[in-house]
Amino acid sequence: MSALGQSVRPLDWVEKTSGTARYAADEPPEGTLVARVLRSPLPHADIRRLDVSAALRVPGVHAVVTAADFPEGRLYEHSGGPYSDRPPMAVDRVLYVGHEVAAVAAETAEAADEAIRRIDVRYRRRKAVLTVPDALAPGAPRLHERADGANVAVATAEHWGDVDLARTNASVAARGTFRYPRVNHACMEPNTTIAWWHGERLEMWTSSQAPHFVVHELTHLFGLELDQVVCRDVAVGGGFGSKSKISEHEALAAALSMKCGRPVLLELSRAEEFAFTKPRHAFETRLEAHADADGRLCFLDAVIDVDNGAYNHYGPSVMRAGIKQLGSMYRPDAVRWDARLVDTNLVPGGQFRGYGQPQTAIALETLMDELAEKCGQDPIEFRIDNSGLPDTTQLSGSQVGSNRLRECLAQVRDRIGWDAKRGPDRRPYRGVGVSSGMHASGSYAYPGGNTSAAGVEVRTTGDVVVRFGGADAGTGQRTILGQIAAEVLGVPMDRISVIMADWDETPPDMGAWSSRGTHMGGHAVRQTAEAMAARLCELGAEKLGTSEVALADGRVSSAADSVAIADLVDLADESADGSLRIDTEYVEPKMQPYWTGIERPNISATYAYAAHAIEVEVDPGTGVIRVLDYAAVHDIGRAINPALVEGQIIGGAVQGLGAALGERLHYEGGRLVNAGYVHYPLPRATTVPSIDVALIEGPEPAGPFNAKSVGEIALIPAAPALLNAVYDATGIRFRELPLTPDVVLAALQERDGVPPRKHHLARRPGRWQIGLFRALYPYGIHLLLDRWGTRFARRRTPRAVERVALPETVAEAVAELSSPDATVIGGGTDVLVQRDQELLFPTVLVGTNKIAALRGIDEEAGGDWRIGAAVTLAELATWAAERVPVVADAVATIASAQIREVATVAGNLGQEKRCWFFRNGFDCYKRGGVSCPCYAVEGDHRLHHAAIGGHRCQAVTPSDLATVFDALGAEVVLTGPGGSRRVSIAGLYAGPGELDLRPGELVEAIVLPAAALRSRGTFVKLQQWDGDFALVSLAACASVDTDGRWTAARYVFGGLAPKPWQPPRLTRALAGTVPTPDAVADVLDQDLSWEAHPLPGNRWKLDAAIGLARQATEQLLLGRTRDEE
Amino acid sequence: MAEPRTGLRVDGDVVPAGAPGATLLDVLRASGNFAAKGACRRGECGACTVLVGDRAVLACTTLAALVTDEVTTAAGLGDDAADLRAAFADHAAFQCGFCTPGQVVRAEAVLRERVERGRDEIVRAMSGNVCRCTGYRQIVDAVCAVAQSRQCFRKVSS
Ligand code: FES
Ligand code: FES
Repeated sequence: MSALGQSVRPLDWVEKTSGTARYAADEPPEGTLVARVLRSPLPHADIRRLDVSAALRVPGVHAVVTAADFPEGRLYEHSGGPYSDRPPMAVDRVLYVGHEVAAVAAETAEAADEAIRRIDVRYRRRKAVLTVPDALAPGAPRLHERADGANVAVATAEHWGDVDLARTNASVAARGTFRYPRVNHACMEPNTTIAWWHGERLEMWTSSQAPHFVVHELTHLFGLELDQVVCRDVAVGGGFGSKSKISEHEALAAALSMKCGRPVLLELSRAEEFAFTKPRHAFETRLEAHADADGRLCFLDAVIDVDNGAYNHYGPSVMRAGIKQLGSMYRPDAVRWDARLVDTNLVPGGQFRGYGQPQTAIALETLMDELAEKCGQDPIEFRIDNSGLPDTTQLSGSQVGSNRLRECLAQVRDRIGWDAKRGPDRRPYRGVGVSSGMHASGSYAYPGGNTSAAGVEVRTTGDVVVRFGGADAGTGQRTILGQIAAEVLGVPMDRISVIMADWDETPPDMGAWSSRGTHMGGHAVRQTAEAMAARLCELGAEKLGTSEVALADGRVSSAADSVAIADLVDLADESADGSLRIDTEYVEPKMQPYWTGIERPNISATYAYAAHAIEVEVDPGTGVIRVLDYAAVHDIGRAINPALVEGQIIGGAVQGLGAALGERLHYEGGRLVNAGYVHYPLPRATTVPSIDVALIEGPEPAGPFNAKSVGEIALIPAAPALLNAVYDATGIRFRELPLTPDVVLAALQERDGVPPRKHHLARRPGRWQIGLFRALYPYGIHLLLDRWGTRFARRRTPRAVERVALPETVAEAVAELSSPDATVIGGGTDVLVQRDQELLFPTVLVGTNKIAALRGIDEEAGGDWRIGAAVTLAELATWAAERVPVVADAVATIASAQIREVATVAGNLGQEKRCWFFRNGFDCYKRGGVSCPCYAVEGDHRLHHAAIGGHRCQAVTPSDLATVFDALGAEVVLTGPGGSRRVSIAGLYAGPGELDLRPGELVEAIVLPAAALRSRGTFVKLQQWDGDFALVSLAACASVDTDGRWTAARYVFGGLAPKPWQPPRLTRALAGTVPTPDAVADVLDQDLSWEAHPLPGNRWKLDAAIGLARQATEQLLLGRTRDEE
Repeated sequence: MAEPRTGLRVDGDVVPAGAPGATLLDVLRASGNFAAKGACRRGECGACTVLVGDRAVLACTTLAALVTDEVTTAAGLGDDAADLRAAFADHAAFQCGFCTPGQVVRAEAVLRERVERGRDEIVRAMSGNVCRCTGYRQIVDAVCAVAQSRQCFRKVSS
């Protein structure tokens, strides 16, 4: 049976599924040191002083490196020539927050951290340019000397085709300005390296997709020979482009190891990974698209600004790829562009799956839809009519062989049910949208890009070893290459193994980037295996005494006889140690290079195409977009391993959806705000639909066994298809990603002409002081507090935990808590996180899980229920499922099942605020003290901050239990040295996520009144994924008499105010009525007018609150006590 | 007052409990067991999921000193999970594999509950485990397939 076209198991499946695959940080060599990096806290500054001597004196520290440890003037090569602009560490000046100033290696992480703190570094702040317009403003400070203009790294203004003619043919136009923000790869494995300089060689275990760039850059930086650097074959935990070139940590780890001769592990934390690895370049694309009266696309005219960040890296080619797409997908007569790559004081952009194409695709594909509409045509038909043709040269120079975009479009129409879903019976607020996509299969972007090498080895054991110098970061390339060798040599997959990355073992290769893995690597292995097959036939012919032989099923056969290939190995003179090996180099004949003056080079050998269609539903009450259905049809040539191909398609599409729906890196003063998964809404299992994939196969003579690329293409059409679907659902054209609920809800209100709510602040003297303070923030207060106030910020000195106390009674616990350095720990899911975030350094942890009195849920006299503080959320949910379903419903929305297993009731109530400034290290009012600003006032406060009752701090209480317990009228039992007392939920909190406890007090229990168990309740929560903290939530409980009248009702909102918030008018108005959703909305609207004091960006939360109140009221009226979906 | 443990039982071995403030993930990795991965170390992603007793928990936000039950990592699941691991391979339910030990442990815990679940419920039960590569469908396919063969799958989700 052919090995091709089979979904064989990945070669590394045993290791990967049993946790034994070795990633870079696993199994470090004996004596490995831990490295940490000192990074610039400022976006632009001179380094006035840098003294590392104190760091070197910290016990356990073995090496410290700074720019002075690298050869003077040495820059990373990157794409070479004038584009090389980055030294390996900051030299005299820092250009972005995170810029590497120094690095240390020490015996322990604690010693390394301490050494970092001891480094004496002084900066003189310079004016920073944090946006493209700032960078281009007259008189803006310059980051580099650039030939193309101030802060313009590269400018290009050119065209393809006859622009004038194309314009005269056109009669219909559509135009718009489209913004694609910075997004992070968020690979699950953070960038990690172990570097070990020994025996005059650098041995590297590094998370790289392409050892080539690591080896070449390191030899260049340190003046080594190529064979002095070797990358070992380790598993790599995701790349998506981020690990396709050198990342700076490899160079730092190497420099440290070269200084001390010990192996050095440098593993980025997740916060560093988000903040300091190179994200997708943000593009602003102003595009005009023109068509003639028959609906033929004539002309595309683009003005593109790309935010380069502080260094070039591969920005010039990312921009070029984005432009090139405009002349490759369809058949316009002319394309014109005026594009600039602009330096800013932000972390530099980098390579990310899709490489410039996702950014311009949102513009192109939206305008294709608009042109179709203007021409009165169906969007799919319009695309089919305009799509590129097979066997043609595109305007961009791409010499396309096979192109089945038309078939893809036609098939995706059926698979999504296009005609029915856009037909007369469509449901309101539902819509479908489509997008095309294309991608090359590798590119000749750098010298050597058209070349790939492989080794194939046959052993006397019958095993076949494929040797390939690239690395597999999860694409399945290892398996694909094995399948190709198996096919050519006719051996079963279980005899095949593949060694990658380690150039001691393999010929060098440029690695996995630009979707070249299957095409280039596949051809190299095919060619080498064929050479091996020919050699085996030669040997077989000799052995069998006839030239009429053929290779099949691992044997060379003549008409009369046959011999196993294993038995031929020793017959070859060149065999050694029971192994016959052949290496060959494949040079792709169809690729043309960029840099040799060919005007429109054909940079790739084959081009893959796809059409994606999406169905969405938009909730007009909250602005949430739900993706109901997703179909992806791909022109793949041939799927060598269909399951792996599907995996690439689904994974790419979902990453594209993530960027469309929520992902975005937010900066404040040049510093990343959302440096953690909890604040970066990448897709979770519950937020994405089950994606339907179809593959269209057919000949592609230039591909290995007809195969075309699939690694990057699927990401590209996802966002545009979503944008088009949302338009179809709402009539609103969104032109900027991501479509978070705030954006959608605000646009819906604007569409419907809803006037902004009035807040009567003139008549609310209680808000005057805060109102004034906020008003002055932009006029100096923020600057003053940020620049000067934070100098006095309180900083907690890290201290180790000295003792864990495990009391068995409440009295013992209270005694332990008499020390101010003691902290209660329940499940640890917040305490340990706060320690990591440098918010809390207790030396004594007082565990509660051994205190029997805190672990139970008991009925008290009178029918009240007492819930012990150390009851876990999972236990609470089980108990509540039948008795108080609203509690179980709320618990189900909290964090993950794993957290609910251990997190406790008291821990949930007492968790700290989740404000993303506070949690991510900003010296804010709450973290640093009164002299510090609240960064939310000026910064991004759309999602996680209070719209009601904010004071100096705008954070909210994150506990969902607080919201639901408050609605149920629960009380909290607090016990301390002075005895026990009971408080309401409102009385429990002193501020957002801050318990009002007396010294030595702990939460002992929560008491649910008997009446609560008899009421109807519902909990609704607006969140970005299942388990997210509430943007807005509502717990509503009503006691209903036999006539259906509500005798008492409490609506309590979470996420809106510093503490759980009860609208006063609504509570009064509900009693004794049978309310309607409209009536509730009306009264709540008054409450919001009179009580709320939103920040400019979070007014939408008030509207969302009304949306939730309608939902909750409907559910209560239905008598629904559970989410019965 | 109960005494904190000095040793932890992990995959059939006993390993030292580490410093008082050590997390379970620190302890596991220091002992040479690298099956649980630290992708966020803040309880946000599920990559470090292990079984403590039969409950799936996050090793990165578990204080080792509080652990009394046996700890099982993906490497210690043994033959019990052979069908699950094979299903992950057959459905291409992993790519880079970094999230996979956590996914497998979580899935095994879900399946061991022997509660009948439909596809949507399996999605919800698995939703605390982030995967950046697969887009989830194939992971869910794999878990559903095993749920079916272990007879705890419901065709229609409730
Ligand atoms: S590493 Fe533990 S949850 Fe992410
Ligand atoms: S397989 Fe890579 S993160 Fe899940």
